[in-house]
Amino acid sequence: MKTVLSIKGLTKDYGRLRAVNQLDLEVQQGQVFGMLGPNGSGKTTTLGMLMGVTNPTAGEFTWFGETPTHTLRKKIGAVLEHPIFYPYLSGQKNLELNAMVKECPADNIPKVLDLVELSGRKDDKYKTYSLGMKQRLAIASALLNEPTVLILDEPTNGLDPMGIAEIRELTKKIAASGKTIILASHLLDEVQKVCTHFAVLKKSNLIHSGPVDDVGRGAETVEVQADVANLSELLMDFSGTASINRENGYFQVTLRDEFHGKDLNRFLFDKGVVANHLVTKKKSLEKMFLEILSEH
Amino acid sequence: MLLHLLKIDLKKLTSYRTFWVVCGLYFITIGFSTASGWEFLKWAVSLVEGFGQKVNIDRIPLYHFPDVWLNLVWWSGFFKVLLGIMTVISITNEYTYRTLRQNVIDGLSRWEFLLTKILTNFLLSLLSVVLIFFIALITGFIYTPEINWSYVFTDLEFYPAYLLEVFSFLSYALMLGILIQRSGLTIILLLLSYLLEFIIKTNIDDYAPWILPFFPMESISALIKMPLYRYAFQEIQDYVDPLSVAVAFAWMVAFNYFSYLKLKRSDL
Repeated sequence: MKTVLSIKGLTKDYGRLRAVNQLDLEVQQGQVFGMLGPNGSGKTTTLGMLMGVTNPTAGEFTWFGETPTHTLRKKIGAVLEHPIFYPYLSGQKNLELNAMVKECPADNIPKVLDLVELSGRKDDKYKTYSLGMKQRLAIASALLNEPTVLILDEPTNGLDPMGIAEIRELTKKIAASGKTIILASHLLDEVQKVCTHFAVLKKSNLIHSGPVDDVGRGAETVEVQADVANLSELLMDFSGTASINRENGYFQVTLRDEFHGKDLNRFLFDKGVVANHLVTKKKSLEKMFLEILSEH
Repeated sequence: MLLHLLKIDLKKLTSYRTFWVVCGLYFITIGFSTASGWEFLKWAVSLVEGFGQKVNIDRIPLYHFPDVWLNLVWWSGFFKVLLGIMTVISITNEYTYRTLRQNVIDGLSRWEFLLTKILTNFLLSLLSVVLIFFIALITGFIYTPEINWSYVFTDLEFYPAYLLEVFSFLSYALMLGILIQRSGLTIILLLLSYLLEFIIKTNIDDYAPWILPFFPMESISALIKMPLYRYAFQEIQDYVDPLSVAVAFAWMVAFNYFSYLKLKRSDL
């Protein structure tokens, strides 16, 4: 697998404030890489340094194994923070200008406008667009040069639920086409659904990085409900039980390692109890994220 | 490559109404005011004659070759401030809309971005020179009683000097815009530049008068000196002072270099 991005010791100071501290990170080709972290944890500053708008204080990074230059940036599509365009130009003209800056043919414009469903409004001035349309135009402009790497920073920020759903569908569509995506987001659910890998930043430090699949590993939690009076005691008798919680009329059984939902099910069945409700719950990224944050 | 960069900036400007309004005003003003100077003079004299004074304006060869060359560039030089304001609006917009940041993200280097602005400045300066050159040529042929070809081609060195004058001033406006980043404040400072420099100059005049020609605004305006004295005192500087050229050129390079340094070092 080819390394798309490699970061070593990247640091940024704003006066006495350290925004990014000694960041090391690698992104491989084809990964959909989620960057998580509370507001002000250094995500946008990091992306700004990767895209040449913020000068790093120390450290280095390479794109495609090469030292970064502006020519290299033309191969990357990026939307940082909010969409930025000339308000007095139409969507179409803004994209034409983008094509000139990126030195790519303008033939792609109708295609990307179609993809983000803006073809009908392309000749209206950018300042008349709704926030959702602005975000979509930004994604269109990022896709204009058919980049192999796409950077999206909070692409659903400030959107209504419909807009969020639209952008999520779009991200999935793009991810399915095999592009490497770096996605900074608050929406953990979204990251879990779309991303293959993720990293967590907190107070300018990288505190976790790894595959999203790992999130589900580790202790399982099983939610059980059955019409027997002594269910609680029965569950305590099960050798795989680590702890039991009662929530909304269901028992949340945290299992020891090496035990799974089916073992609990078999145990109950052997005891002559048939459960009405038995669900193995995977740990959500949200839960893990909060765990990671509280550990550090 | 340079043409490509120029096209990028023109693409931004040509759909921007303010650009057409300001540049339109500028070119119409310098065009009409330079072309109609003689008519204006006749009108002014008719006013004076109404009070019983007799003035023989035929003695003033305002539009005769070679005087016309210098007179017109000197006059139109005053209006370069309008172009300077356009330059300021163009660069500060990039900061307010944050499009400078996006341009760099999209793959322009900071130097290339600056070059797009410098090239537009040069184009606007060149257009001013060409316009005034043709107006002077045409009015010269209309008003000069006897065409003497050696006079027609005398004093043309004022045109490169005029180009340097406008371009240096626009470079200065661009630098101010990059340093201040807010359009209102930049325009005020741009307009006050001459006054501020004048105050400083009068204060050091007594101590170090030799330093005066090295001031930026002074050197830019010294390129083309007020020619109208010649009709009163018969003596003017009818050549371009090489020292002014050297100083103004050095400032022009310095302004653009400061812009580059500032752009390179700042986080966008």
